Amino acid sequence: MNWISLCLTLLCGSDPDWRAYSPLVRHEAPSAAVGNPIDAFIQKSLIRKKLKPSPKASKEVLLRRLTFDLTGLPPTPEELKEFLADPAHAAFEKQVDRLLNSPRHGERMARLWMDAVHFAETHGHDQDRIRPNAWRYRDYLIQSFNSDLPYSRFIEEQIAVDVLYPAESNKLPALGFLAAGPWDESSLRDIREDSIDRDMGRYLDRDDMLTTVMGTFQGLTIQCARCHDHKFDPVTQEEYYNLQAVFSGMGRGEKEYNADPAVGRRRQALQTYLTMIEKGDPGVAADLQSPALTRELLAWEQSQVFVPVIWKAVTPTALVSEAGSILVKKGDAILASGPRPEKDTYTITFETPAAITAVRLQLLADPALPKGGPGRQDNGNLHLTEFSLGGKVAGSAAENFSLKPPSSDYDQPGWTVLHAVDGNPATAWGIYPQVGKDHEAVFPIKNPPTAGTKREWTIKLAQLHGSGHLIGQFRISVTEAINPVVSPLPPEVQTALAAPREKRSRQEWDKIGRHYLKLKTQKELDTLPPMEKVYAGVADFSPDGSHRPVDKPRQVFFLKRGDIRKPGKAAEPASLGLTKDIPASFHLNNNSTDAGRRSALARWLAAKDNPLTWRVMANRLWHFHFNKGFIATCNDLGLMGGQPSHPELLDWLAVRIRDSGSLKDLHRLIVTSAAYQQTSDHHPGNAAIDPDNRFLWRANRQRLDAEQVRDAILLASGRLDSRMGGASDMQFILRPGKHVTPMADYEKFLWDRPAGHRRSVYRFQFRTLPDPLVECLDGVDGSQPTPVRNQSFTPLQALALWNDDFILAHARAIADASSLPANEFLNDACVRLWGRKPTSQEAALFTSLAGSLPRPQLVRVLCNCNQFLFID
Amino acid sequence: MNPPVNRRNWLQQTGCGFGLLAGDWMALREAQGSDAKSGLNGGIHHRAKVKRVIQLFMNGGVSQMDTFDYKPELEKRHGQPFKPDSDEKVEGVTSVPGNLMKSPFPFKQHGQCGRWVSSVFPNLAKRVDDMAFLMSVASKTNVHGPASYMMNTGFALPGFPALGAWLSFGLGRLGDNLPTFVVLPDARGLPYNQKGNFSAGFLPSQHQGTILQAGASPPIHDLFPSEKEAAFQKGSVEALALLQKINREHAAHRSGDSRLEARLDNYLLAARMQQHAPEALDLTREPAAIQKAYGLDNPVTADFGKRCLLARRLVERGVRFVQVWSGAGGASNNWDNHTDIIKELPAIASQVDQPAAALLADLKQRGLLDDTLLMWNTEFGRHPFTQGATGRDHNMGTSVAWLAGAGIKHGSSFGESDPWAWRAAEGKLFSYDIHATLLYLMGIDHEKLTVRNGGADRRLTDVHGKVVQQILA
Repeated sequence: MNWISLCLTLLCGSDPDWRAYSPLVRHEAPSAAVGNPIDAFIQKSLIRKKLKPSPKASKEVLLRRLTFDLTGLPPTPEELKEFLADPAHAAFEKQVDRLLNSPRHGERMARLWMDAVHFAETHGHDQDRIRPNAWRYRDYLIQSFNSDLPYSRFIEEQIAVDVLYPAESNKLPALGFLAAGPWDESSLRDIREDSIDRDMGRYLDRDDMLTTVMGTFQGLTIQCARCHDHKFDPVTQEEYYNLQAVFSGMGRGEKEYNADPAVGRRRQALQTYLTMIEKGDPGVAADLQSPALTRELLAWEQSQVFVPVIWKAVTPTALVSEAGSILVKKGDAILASGPRPEKDTYTITFETPAAITAVRLQLLADPALPKGGPGRQDNGNLHLTEFSLGGKVAGSAAENFSLKPPSSDYDQPGWTVLHAVDGNPATAWGIYPQVGKDHEAVFPIKNPPTAGTKREWTIKLAQLHGSGHLIGQFRISVTEAINPVVSPLPPEVQTALAAPREKRSRQEWDKIGRHYLKLKTQKELDTLPPMEKVYAGVADFSPDGSHRPVDKPRQVFFLKRGDIRKPGKAAEPASLGLTKDIPASFHLNNNSTDAGRRSALARWLAAKDNPLTWRVMANRLWHFHFNKGFIATCNDLGLMGGQPSHPELLDWLAVRIRDSGSLKDLHRLIVTSAAYQQTSDHHPGNAAIDPDNRFLWRANRQRLDAEQVRDAILLASGRLDSRMGGASDMQFILRPGKHVTPMADYEKFLWDRPAGHRRSVYRFQFRTLPDPLVECLDGVDGSQPTPVRNQSFTPLQALALWNDDFILAHARAIADASSLPANEFLNDACVRLWGRKPTSQEAALFTSLAGSLPRPQLVRVLCNCNQFLFID
Repeated sequence: MNPPVNRRNWLQQTGCGFGLLAGDWMALREAQGSDAKSGLNGGIHHRAKVKRVIQLFMNGGVSQMDTFDYKPELEKRHGQPFKPDSDEKVEGVTSVPGNLMKSPFPFKQHGQCGRWVSSVFPNLAKRVDDMAFLMSVASKTNVHGPASYMMNTGFALPGFPALGAWLSFGLGRLGDNLPTFVVLPDARGLPYNQKGNFSAGFLPSQHQGTILQAGASPPIHDLFPSEKEAAFQKGSVEALALLQKINREHAAHRSGDSRLEARLDNYLLAARMQQHAPEALDLTREPAAIQKAYGLDNPVTADFGKRCLLARRLVERGVRFVQVWSGAGGASNNWDNHTDIIKELPAIASQVDQPAAALLADLKQRGLLDDTLLMWNTEFGRHPFTQGATGRDHNMGTSVAWLAGAGIKHGSSFGESDPWAWRAAEGKLFSYDIHATLLYLMGIDHEKLTVRNGGADRRLTDVHGKVVQQILA
């Protein structure tokens, strides 16, 4: 034994050779005369330590403990009554099954999981913006736990469901996992893209992702290797940066997905077909010549009314940009180039004596523009804030011409062409995502001028949205036609239709047919349910300012001592070489895709040969039930996490999860053990040997956590709204803030409102402005992964439990809801809140002291009692 | 330190509060710091010189070359492009670097120490002999959020305990009547990172900063039941008495669980807070001359002045660490002078100058400086070159902080920035060193105050930190 092992033996009192990453050993359960294998292991260590197990707890205590543990809620009076009256030998097991099958179970598990992965619904950091679609990850978790999704699959989905299971588009919210943590909007979106702080922001952003991934699934504190090789666990700094490279092709952002995979498949098929039509793909040819189409075309053609409109392009006499764009003529079109200002107003002047009735603005695509234009914004879009028209006859004053409602060939959702004449500088016309093609809008004049008088016309195109949403290329034309509108038909289709049917060429028929098929396909696309959005970690998230997806993963460099100014060699996507059973290499180089990288890591994490994966989850579940894992630090099973209290049992349970994949199976096994069902009573003799109850000679008395306190009081009040899923309830008054972060006023929220009555898991979680009551009760704010919550007891916590509006409003509701006489009221309220009637001593205290107390005050007392706050 | 309690009085005053019974009062255990040892004056590793701290935090990044860091070189090179004699890239984090800009404010030497101070701080200038200056405080980031985290918690990431939380954790309470770590945010709003800057991080929640809002009712969240809840305005004293009896009955059957005792105590401590907080916050109890000295009569200085005065009252009443913020987050009304130093800096500086100087004088006059430390600092400095016409962008290269009070060598300074105040040139310091010095003064070895979290023994100073002996008495 070397001296390090010796020190460890002295420190930990157990096998210093135990490593969380050693291969799993399938130990035989010790042959004790007990039914549950867990108890065989527990008893073995109790005997070795000369500890005596505690007796089985009362049925009241057991049901309260079990119900809170599996669902986060207390038992209702009816549930308690039924259990107490059930004489069956397996009455407890029946309750276990009932609770594991309850949808409340997934809600409880999701809450615990969200702690560990530091999920919240705002960015955190300085600019703590709201993420309106983050909650879908929470719903994914609830559904996954309720359906007992196999654990390996649960891992794979959260890392790379889009790559590994692309057909299951409904599962995309699983990727909310990678985006769960904080995101530094200032550093990653708002400061200069070429600054060193931006680059550093990216490294730190990936650091958060891999800290979460490796902490959650591997129990490794990988972040310790950012500046140097890990001091305690065999993780090198090089491996750390290789892992960073796994995440260098993706980012956090909004991602659209199809909640119904069938709709997704149809949408995909229709979009593919549209592309085929547009590209003249020969695959469409058969459809074009089918008799069915010929019949449909006939009917369609008869339904069309054609009014040919003659447009004449104007010849500008002056082109002026207010903000410095360079406007030049290109044929009869006008091209904007040069520096791209944030905002601009183009003024186009031309002369004509015609009695013009309308102006047509054509936006022209061009491969030289971003995404093919017609806009100059990076995404090819533009925003026309206001279109105005003035006319001036020589010698008289200029005159403004009012316009009738314009029409356009396409409006970006929420950005209709009507916005261009509404006088509101905050609204505009846009064409996204239909970029890379021409568009047009027709602006009819309300009172057209009479013919024959030459006017100097001035068109102003105000484009004030900012971020360079400017027109890249356009053409202005005018007409004298009556009631001109945008023709729904492209020019070549108009021409083809103009030819008499019997004289049309095959080509002309095909043009019409293609156009018809396009309309038909588009129409079906439009009737499909819209796509949903989730805040997720993906490669192709929606851009947010200068936070944009990358075409291929960014190069990650090995940073000497973690210093951004000292980049070393390039990292290659790979994992850790902790154990030879599962190699670190992904056989991926720096040209590999994001999909390749993430899916490789997902498989590596979910591999049966990866011992950490299974040990970490077995330990985590054990922690959920005993409030202490075999290793107390659930996200750190490395050397700093210490030695497990029961290494053989940990391995036995890990093997069980690995082989069954079922978390519910493990829950069931744990809570039906005798170890779990002991009393929590103190025992001086045992305590002298094992004061921390490391070897489980009794149950651990647990304080309710913040959510259990809230949900239990809501349930007792009869107000608990059991509706599942959907956007989170904001239990504060939201107001605009000074800067980006809004203000969340918790004091003004009225708890009688329905938004205050759903389970706490559906509470909107604001990172830098946490709920004061939840905070006092050691709830988490999502700044850092919190696999194990603190448990504090403070004067401010006493103040909160005693005075917080939540407690008072619901204490009042509990009091008001009951019409029972005084003695029955107390018993009933105690059963609801404490899970039992008061003892005779307690009842005596109430009788002598509570006589004159109003009922709301009495309930307030019950909610502050340790009988409520602790689970025996 | 605690004023004597007139039981009848406070029972009347706290009609809707807890109220306390005499027996409870006696039963209340006087809590001491977790590891405080006698003979160390409250310190845990060596003898403490400082027992309490008031920190004035200038939110937004104070322009050092326009306040305390006089640079003749900038006057010479005013209007010229910036070409430092190093190969480090010159960049602005939100802007394109402009030309060098001299300070638009005249500088003069002050005090016996001859410290240069610009005209934006006429009152603080008179106090330089009471201060020790740190002239080269660098950060590791040019972005407000991370830099504010770094200066408050030692890490440029969310989720780590703030300085005040570490002090609460390491040293415990000085008194039972008020929270240990109190934050007084600018009336205009919370700073960058909102409450993240006062978080207990992974330490238990009792160590987090408690926001005290002088104007609000109640001044501490949940100090009293809100007026919305009419049913709880009466009978609370009786209800609390019942609660304590029931909880004692509960604990009597559950031996060996100290948490149950702690819960009993906490309601008593909460009651004391209800009683003492309103008194501590009542600035009308201060003489008119004091109110005037802190600038309470002037709308420009009134908000910061009130909070400075409140800070003094709080440390007198046993609060360990008070953090007073100047400026809210966001683009204006703080020290983040991107657009126009000439207009923006005097506006915010004049809000702080008189009250901060008055606080220093008041602490000194009352003898509080014998065991109190006053610290003034910011998250980073600003650039010697312009942003736009007359603004300055964020600069992590160097900034100025000053300390005054117990254990400090008054009139001293440490460190020096380069000729442009762009980068620290000599004695470069980070938050680690300031924190290490402060902990040292409070009897803590910063390398020994650690908590195991996320696989490491975390400390306020990460793996860095050196006590700045040069400014210590």
